[in-house]
Amino acid sequence: MAPYDDWNKIDDEDDDELQDLSIFESKRDVILFCIDCSESMLKLYDDPKYEESVQTCHLYYALDAAMQLQKKKIIVGPNDAVGIILFNTTRQPDSSTKTQGSEIKRGTYLYQPIGPLCASTTRELVQLLDASFEDQGELRKEFPPLTGKSVPMGDVFTSCNWVLRDGAPKTATKRVFLITDEDNPHAGAGYRQLTTSARTTLIDLTQAGVTVEPFFINTEEKPFDITKFYSSVLVSDDLEDDNEQDDGSILPESISISRIEDLLSQMRIREVPKRSLFSIPFHLANGFTIGIKGYGLITEQKKGSYKYFVDLGDRMEVATVRTTYVDEDRQAEVDKTKIVYGADLGTSATADDDGNVEESSQNFSARGVKAGHRPFYTAEEIRSFRTLGLEPGIKLLGFKDLSELEFEDNIKHSHFIYPDEMSYSGSKRTFSALLKSMIKKKKIGLALVLTRRNATPMFCALLPQEETHDDSGWNDPAGIHLIPLPFADDMRAAPVDMAFKATDEDINAIACEWIGKLAIKNGSYPPDTYPNPALALHNEQLQASAFREEYDRSTFKDLTEPPVEAIHKRAGQLMKEWKRLLANDPSASIVIATTGSKRKADVSVDEAEIKSKHINGTLAKLRVDQLKEFLKSKGQSTLGKKDELLERVSGWLSTR
Amino acid sequence: MPAERAGYTVFMFLIDVSPSMGGIRTVEVETSTGQTQTVEMTHLEFGLQFVKLKIQEMIFNGRKTDRCGVIVFGSEDTRNVVNDENGAYENVTEYIPIAQPNAATIAKIDALAPSTVFGDPIDALIVGVETQSKYLVSKKSWTRRITLITDGESPIEVEDWELTVTKMDLLQIHLTVIGIDFDDEELPYMEPNKSNIKRTNEEFFKKLTSSMASATLGTCEHALQQAVRPDIKTVRSTLMATTLRLGNTADDGRSAEALEFSVKMSKCTSVARPKGWTKYTLRAYETSPDEMVVDSDESIYAPLKLRSEYYVDRNAANKNGEDEDGDADIKKEDDDVLLLDGISEDPKRKKIDTSEKIEKEELVRGFKYGTTYAPCPDGQFPKLTTHKGIDICGFFPRANFRRELSMGEIQYIWADPSSAQQQVALSSFVQAMEKKKVLAIARWVSRDGMDPKMGVLLPVAGDNVHYLLWGQMPFADDVRKYTFASLDTLINKKGEILTEHPYLPTSKQLDAMDDFVDSMDLMHAGPKDDNGYCGPWFETSLSYNPAIHRVKQAMFHCAIVNDIATHPLPPPHPELTQYFEPPEKLVKKAQAAIDACKLVFNAKEVPKRVARAKKDGHVHAHDDDDMLLLDRKRPAGATSYRADVGEAGPSENKDMMAEVPVDDSETEDDDDEEDLLSKKPSAPSSNSNKGPLPTPARSISPAMDPGRAPGRIVGNTYPLKDFQKNTAQVGKAVEDLAAVIAEVVMKPFASRRKQEMLECMVALRDTCLRENEIETWNSFIIGLKKKCISKVGNPEFWKAIQKFGRDLSLISAQEAERQGVESAVTENEAGEVSH
Repeated sequence: MAPYDDWNKIDDEDDDELQDLSIFESKRDVILFCIDCSESMLKLYDDPKYEESVQTCHLYYALDAAMQLQKKKIIVGPNDAVGIILFNTTRQPDSSTKTQGSEIKRGTYLYQPIGPLCASTTRELVQLLDASFEDQGELRKEFPPLTGKSVPMGDVFTSCNWVLRDGAPKTATKRVFLITDEDNPHAGAGYRQLTTSARTTLIDLTQAGVTVEPFFINTEEKPFDITKFYSSVLVSDDLEDDNEQDDGSILPESISISRIEDLLSQMRIREVPKRSLFSIPFHLANGFTIGIKGYGLITEQKKGSYKYFVDLGDRMEVATVRTTYVDEDRQAEVDKTKIVYGADLGTSATADDDGNVEESSQNFSARGVKAGHRPFYTAEEIRSFRTLGLEPGIKLLGFKDLSELEFEDNIKHSHFIYPDEMSYSGSKRTFSALLKSMIKKKKIGLALVLTRRNATPMFCALLPQEETHDDSGWNDPAGIHLIPLPFADDMRAAPVDMAFKATDEDINAIACEWIGKLAIKNGSYPPDTYPNPALALHNEQLQASAFREEYDRSTFKDLTEPPVEAIHKRAGQLMKEWKRLLANDPSASIVIATTGSKRKADVSVDEAEIKSKHINGTLAKLRVDQLKEFLKSKGQSTLGKKDELLERVSGWLSTR
Repeated sequence: MPAERAGYTVFMFLIDVSPSMGGIRTVEVETSTGQTQTVEMTHLEFGLQFVKLKIQEMIFNGRKTDRCGVIVFGSEDTRNVVNDENGAYENVTEYIPIAQPNAATIAKIDALAPSTVFGDPIDALIVGVETQSKYLVSKKSWTRRITLITDGESPIEVEDWELTVTKMDLLQIHLTVIGIDFDDEELPYMEPNKSNIKRTNEEFFKKLTSSMASATLGTCEHALQQAVRPDIKTVRSTLMATTLRLGNTADDGRSAEALEFSVKMSKCTSVARPKGWTKYTLRAYETSPDEMVVDSDESIYAPLKLRSEYYVDRNAANKNGEDEDGDADIKKEDDDVLLLDGISEDPKRKKIDTSEKIEKEELVRGFKYGTTYAPCPDGQFPKLTTHKGIDICGFFPRANFRRELSMGEIQYIWADPSSAQQQVALSSFVQAMEKKKVLAIARWVSRDGMDPKMGVLLPVAGDNVHYLLWGQMPFADDVRKYTFASLDTLINKKGEILTEHPYLPTSKQLDAMDDFVDSMDLMHAGPKDDNGYCGPWFETSLSYNPAIHRVKQAMFHCAIVNDIATHPLPPPHPELTQYFEPPEKLVKKAQAAIDACKLVFNAKEVPKRVARAKKDGHVHAHDDDDMLLLDRKRPAGATSYRADVGEAGPSENKDMMAEVPVDDSETEDDDDEEDLLSKKPSAPSSNSNKGPLPTPARSISPAMDPGRAPGRIVGNTYPLKDFQKNTAQVGKAVEDLAAVIAEVVMKPFASRRKQEMLECMVALRDTCLRENEIETWNSFIIGLKKKCISKVGNPEFWKAIQKFGRDLSLISAQEAERQGVESAVTENEAGEVSH
């Protein structure tokens, strides 16, 4: 199912291109949680989340976060793999359950080998967490800490390297989530040497294609100072190792230092590996080009589509779908390279009523031309029709006022672009200057964009985004949003061009009043507060089904439902008053004449009357036109016989 | 006149096929790259292009109510409705009866040729009107169009033409006269040396068309140009009834304090896509020997249909590693694996690659939860219960709206057009929102039970109507939060903030950029309006989707020409690409600022780095090394083998082998069997497997390339099938299959194809024995053994061969004798090598 493959979908079928997909291979993602098990991580403290004297420790939180993330990933990326390695523990691998190919360094313990996500391993972790919640000593018993000293970080990285080498598919994106609260693991003697070895092993890891994402735990008693050790160890993955002359002075972009409570949310941010959708040149003018990478920050996350399974008796196996192109008359499969493309031949000739069916159908089922002639296009040719021969890239056409970007000029989600120093040097400074200038002058850019070789060109507005910082740890990054503009072909005319307007000052004033009551002063649209309820319900049911649990539907809460209580409380009276004034408005008595129709009988019927008739079971006394009028006012279908209308009316009333 | 409705139209095409239409003209055509080439065609063919374009448009739109008929005049014989009843109206033939057109219609029009007799256009017109009227006798409301194509070189009987005009006006016929080389002031075009008769006729057509209520006259060239202009298909959006709610309207007790508007929604923007292509293939004749008469003068292109089949690979363990190499197959859980766990491995099932076709009826629907399978026969779990309508959740200041979050098509929300009170209510709401400068957050359910969408409502107080616009906003799940390094704050390893760095623009650079942004401003770069004021350049309402219109143009083009090599697709209409470059004037003025920017920013393309050698490469490297070793070792023994082959091998074999491209030309490799085995595999493998990873798993896909290396008739994908197909060329087939087996066996994942390879070998040996290719077999098996037991070999495969016993051993003299052929290997030796 892999819904987040939707973000990186391959489209090999050239025709149904145009969806916003990318040529990205749907890579697997592998995360190895590398968690510190030292004394301080196991130190118990009162959990502020619980009133009773429940004690937890950092390790519990870290494992819990790893479990939560696994649960999430299993739904968004069911083909991904995870593993958990612990360090600074004396726990030895049991010889019986030895699954890891190579020995790993002393003091490190592979708790969960890298493996595809599945319900059983996740449940195992849940059980461990439950057990340690009951008995606070459980974790200490399971993973006895190494006392008095700590494992050299170099050994930790080497172990990670081995574990990933043995367990992770070569083509996957591999990441190590390093969780520790120790900012200076090698404070004692040998600091220099151990630091160097940590740095070298980390470079090895990076060269093996592994990204280390550190999550450092910061507490009041034990603030995390990155300069003590890690700043000299961590390498920026942006500037690759051999980029020494660039004084390597910049820290990697993804370091999280946070309170333990924020660990999970910090991990959520990095839950999905950052992948660019396209990496193309940005031509500001002829001969003035920089490199950018494009990211999809907003894409509709859909439910996974179901798969077909075959019951093989002992297990279920996914059936693979193979599509082939067949010449129907010959029942012969056709090699993809031999396919040519043309216009549709039109509807079947046999449908014609001309007597000459035989001849026409023969002509029709295929197209014959003189030998050697080709009336169709090759795949290469049709691709050039779509791109109009353009190469992938963004071509700046000029700038416009910010106010020119209308609300209605939208057809699909935007992309986010960020400079790519690796394809054009000087991209960052140029991009940065452009951004500042556009923000200062309140301008948007207009550009012709072709994101990929088999995409179609589109015009986009370039909306600059200023860098902002807030305390929550989430910053708006600097960059430009590419907003696809609709073409003339995409725009629909307004079907209504005239309507009555409200002119009564009192009515409008009251409307202003209740709107004011319901407005959030400094608010905006908050995506984070609206998880997709349909998706959440689906995923919960899927999870229950996988864990073979009964799903209790009543526990589900739809967070997108309007806050009716608050609305009534704040503005109920005002709305009532507004309605009263409206009812007295002269417009209430205006009947809009629909052209050509005869004078209609009075069909207006009081809603309360219908409701009472519904309760008394005397709905059938109403006339068809009255029922229709009621249904129409509720936006329901008015088709069908009286019985059907009655059913629909009562159906509507009983659901309310 | 009421707005025309699409469809419900009968087109009549009246085509002049008089002898003068056979005159040859040279037409200049432009290729899409802008070069011009010339094509010779008759006047008739030139005029028919227009007819075919019009008919293709009908096919393209695919409406059942778009019909057309073709009447030719100047035809040798006479066959038309008027003549049938009253006689006269000669040399007018109803060529294609009125029907919905398809590709066959176009093919039939292509078959038209100039005749030897003249026909009268007015006769044709009257026949056309009659034919159309007869057809539409019960369809009075249909639109009638008649298009007449003529070069005006035939005599016209102009008596009583006014009567015809009156009749056509009465029937509300739209007449179009397309003249070949008629004078056109607009184009402009004046035909030199125009004949008198044509001049007179042109005058007449002018008189005719101008006296009709709805008629146009144009020269063909102009008409063709107009026909390829991009046009927008206007779609009238339907109004969908729904309700806009605020508060609890369902509860009786509360509904008094809640609001409910009766509204209609309609689309404001809707993505239009290019029409899909139909796939065709050139029919190969050899695939259908049963075809009775094959007209070799014709190339037949047949349309293709998509067919989906379901397969299951019973050997799941292998399949798992499909797209990776061996170690992709991640360690199995050894603990309580759920019964349903897809990955659980059953050692008993370790067999060779077997995927078999499954009927759709046998399949069960379900979802994957990691590697766990969650059955769900309905294809979806019970859905959320929702009620149709738009619920307002709150309001927020418009200034805080984040435009980039808008993620979909925009919808209009109108007050119920039949209720004045609803209109006033919505108007009041819109005005108040405008006044408070707010947007509403709303939740929209399009139908009962449909999944909800979140969005914002924007008030629009238009001049005549007040309405709302809906724009979809993302759910929490739809937003990706990626971290990006700050562009302003760079921190070095010491924790200090840097103020100077190549990533940070200098003040000089910032100034240069400011100038650039100012000079590239489009706000007054548009075309002058009536008052001489220049507005902004670029308007969405004038920007055609180049892909849609280019694809349509290409589709029309290939439908009306029979060879795109000689009749290339003309370049796109200029209106399609009008916004592809910034306005020239602007760029000229901005050039100084651009040059300054180039200088101060000095952005340079970074040369592509050479990719580091992949670790996976070593498998192949070793392979090659080994081959070389084998090569080097051979020369001593080569001579003896050569002699043997000279005796035993049929001459055909030699010829075939000589054709094989072998790069090492210094040795006489044409009959050195050993060499062939050891070297040839390496040569093609470097061709066919350039990629870092061989993808043997893909071999199950039937759509893929048969994997034949250059010069080979047996491919790596379906070796046995290829081999069996090519047994006529036995020498070559045997040799190629042997090479393929050796190649496949030495690749990673060979075990997956073990069974298949063994089958191949059995077939190979059998053929060798029967077809006197014993030497080939024997040297092949010796070579294979060496390879298999070498360091990077495949000992497992050799063991399998041994297990097979004598059926895959060397072919001994004894065995050969039974077949009436010879072998140099004794019975003992045969047993020995295999063991």
